[in-house]
Amino acid sequence: MQYSQKEIKKGIKVHKIDTDKFKTNLIAVFLTTRLTRENVTKNAMISTILRRGSKNMTSQEEISKQMEEMYGASFDCGLDKTGDNQILKFYIENVNDDFIPEHEENMLKNAIQKLLEIVFNPYIENGEFKKEYIDQEKNNIKQKIEGKIDNKARYALNRCIEEMYKNEPFGLFKFGYIEDLEKIDGKNLYEYYKKLIKECKIDIFVSGILPENIEEIIEQNENISNLEDRNPDYIMPSILDRKTNQKENIVNESMDVTQGKLVLGLDISLENENQKYETLLYNNILGGTANSKLFQNVREKANLAYVASSSYSRQKNNIFINCGIEIANYDKALDIVKKQIEDMKKGDFSEEDIKNAKKGIISTINLIDDEQDTAITYYFGQELSEHKIEPDEYKQKIEKIQKEDIVKIANSVSINTIYFLKD
Amino acid sequence: MQVIENLKVKEKVYKEKLDNGLTVMIIPKPGMNKKYMIWGTHYGSLENEFIAPGEEEKTVVPNGVAHFLEHKMFEQENGTNSLDVLTALGVEANAYTTNDHTAYLFECTDNFYEAMDELMDYVQHPYFTDENVEKEKGIIGQEIKMYDDYPEWKVYLNAINAMYHECPIKIDIVGTIETISKIDKDILYKCYNTFYNPSNMVMVICGDFNPDDMIEEVKKRLIDKKANGEIKRIYPKEPETIVKEKVEQKLEVSTPLYTIGIKDLVSENCNLNKSETVKKHIAIEILLNLIIGRSSRLFKDLYKDGIIFAQPGLSYEFANIYAHILIDGQSSDPEKVYAEFKNEVNNFKENGLNQKDFERIRKMIYGSYVKEYNDVTDISRMFLADYFKGINSFDYLDEIESVTKEYAEQILRQVFKEDKMVLSIVKNS
Repeated sequence: MQYSQKEIKKGIKVHKIDTDKFKTNLIAVFLTTRLTRENVTKNAMISTILRRGSKNMTSQEEISKQMEEMYGASFDCGLDKTGDNQILKFYIENVNDDFIPEHEENMLKNAIQKLLEIVFNPYIENGEFKKEYIDQEKNNIKQKIEGKIDNKARYALNRCIEEMYKNEPFGLFKFGYIEDLEKIDGKNLYEYYKKLIKECKIDIFVSGILPENIEEIIEQNENISNLEDRNPDYIMPSILDRKTNQKENIVNESMDVTQGKLVLGLDISLENENQKYETLLYNNILGGTANSKLFQNVREKANLAYVASSSYSRQKNNIFINCGIEIANYDKALDIVKKQIEDMKKGDFSEEDIKNAKKGIISTINLIDDEQDTAITYYFGQELSEHKIEPDEYKQKIEKIQKEDIVKIANSVSINTIYFLKD
Repeated sequence: MQVIENLKVKEKVYKEKLDNGLTVMIIPKPGMNKKYMIWGTHYGSLENEFIAPGEEEKTVVPNGVAHFLEHKMFEQENGTNSLDVLTALGVEANAYTTNDHTAYLFECTDNFYEAMDELMDYVQHPYFTDENVEKEKGIIGQEIKMYDDYPEWKVYLNAINAMYHECPIKIDIVGTIETISKIDKDILYKCYNTFYNPSNMVMVICGDFNPDDMIEEVKKRLIDKKANGEIKRIYPKEPETIVKEKVEQKLEVSTPLYTIGIKDLVSENCNLNKSETVKKHIAIEILLNLIIGRSSRLFKDLYKDGIIFAQPGLSYEFANIYAHILIDGQSSDPEKVYAEFKNEVNNFKENGLNQKDFERIRKMIYGSYVKEYNDVTDISRMFLADYFKGINSFDYLDEIESVTKEYAEQILRQVFKEDKMVLSIVKNS
């Protein structure tokens, strides 16, 4: 695998991942913009309205037919909240020419052309998005917003984040708000779209068996050549981005659930960028694996849960602990969870734990090469970090971490919010 | 070793049946860092009544045993837990139970052989005690409750229950709090000794390996165990009819969830040879996409009217004792989706399929099969699951061209029958 990037215009980059390990090519366009209450719902709408049609493929049905014709190229879009940014993601995955019975055309070129058209040259009628499409997609986003209660574990996590980041961008729901949907129409959304495309950070990824002149192919694409230089409007996460909550915020909520969902949101105060790697190790030992303190103590020893884990959100420097427990066992489970956080502070973990955690993390770094979307996610993550490192350097940083570094992290951890979803 | 090559995806499978009855499949992936090993037994939630080899009496076990056994396999006599040992090696280890098989697996980049030592050791050495069996009841109890909060799981299981009268596919794989309370160590040993015999198992290994060396590595780690005789699996007789057409459950969800099921005739499937089974599966996938897939007229209309928001999930599930189609998703009006679906099936039956559409969808399905060969995990799991159905996964790539429009039309008439359709809904009270 070979990675390179080229800034083809100011604020617009082409990232090339040359690899012959896969049967497919994967092409992705990411639009990164600042997450705000004002624009969150509009961005959600943009991410779905663009699927509905482009200049030459004027309906969703037409796009689908074209994709099917290309041996099932799959077109997909996503919407992410990464730190204080909102990312609109568009992908096409297509089978490489080598694995198609008779290759009549250059599939990669075709797929790139189609994806760029969908993102940068939407279907417009009389200077606005088609009314019918707008109405349907408003309905679609409304359903997504209302759907946040459907997966109870995810709902509990989202609610905990919302509580921790009240009135801050990171507390926003990525699909936006129903009351804002009402104000959107084909005209104002198209105006907003033009502004977004003019100002957002644009990253185009191509992964697969690539021709040498791939950057030129993209640069010369008419939809790209029409774009202008920009100073992209997005937020680079900072380690100074820390929360200070003197007192634990306790939130209880009721819903029709059989099992209680306990989520703890932890704050970590970091002094330098390297500590992000140390926090990764800290999280791995606390609740990242089957060997972790949470899994061993909440599940294996106390038998209180099937799920007991933690995850690290590196953009905002938070760790979130998740447990699915018997509602009556709330106090018992919370005590055990808190004890694990305390024990980490005391350095109550072994060199063996550190060695194992390092192995686990290094193994995931080694996998970057073997999964097309993982490689894209990795390099895009680097794009949004101040300190960019290649996988090899990443591994070295992990290797170097000592026990005292992790204990230091443990002692900068504080509980911000305890959220419990019960019946 | 038998070598099976597929020129379309340019992959090879090396296959050998060892003297103890174990089938091993090795799929080399030169240049990949990721390595995957999975060891499965042809034993899942369906097997609740059986006659063990060499016995006369039939054994009946509580629901949820196969899954319980899967959890307990990790516990070792020396006090360690194999999941911990594997995790400590930096490998990603797991296990799962389905209706027709149970599998133990790990994926890694380094320490493959150390992990292989551990996996092959623990799968061959069960250690159940009264104490460790009791403790697991708390953990699995929470797993059962977790599924209780998944409306997707409920709507699926209700659809299955609407289709089947007796077939044990009706039973939740994890069992219930009540059934698992009856499980003890003797039951676990009985099931282990019956179903975890090498002759009932298959192993798939995928990664940058030399197959000849790898098969020796496998043999080296096998304990001395002989192939046992036939396991008599006893299944209740399942009528051809459905139980009831419509079923509804109340749960707190934003938009109703639905599953449309179409029960297929297992007795007919039993007479099919391997290539016919594969052809039928491909034809059903093409038909479902033609009827309600992304580019279909029905999808366009339902989407336009705000009745559905995304392409429904489309699948055909089958094993030796069940076969059905499932169409699922969320809808503001599931009854309407169901009625329109039935309507469209009739339209297709009357007017036949459009040749151009048929060919386009067939191309798409071909592409979806090719994509399965990107990842060592997908490859290994696919070969394992297909093996238990008597299928070699390459068959899908080889048979697809022989699936014609006329053949698909025949399957449409044969399988998509109105009196075999059910609708399951989960919605707010």
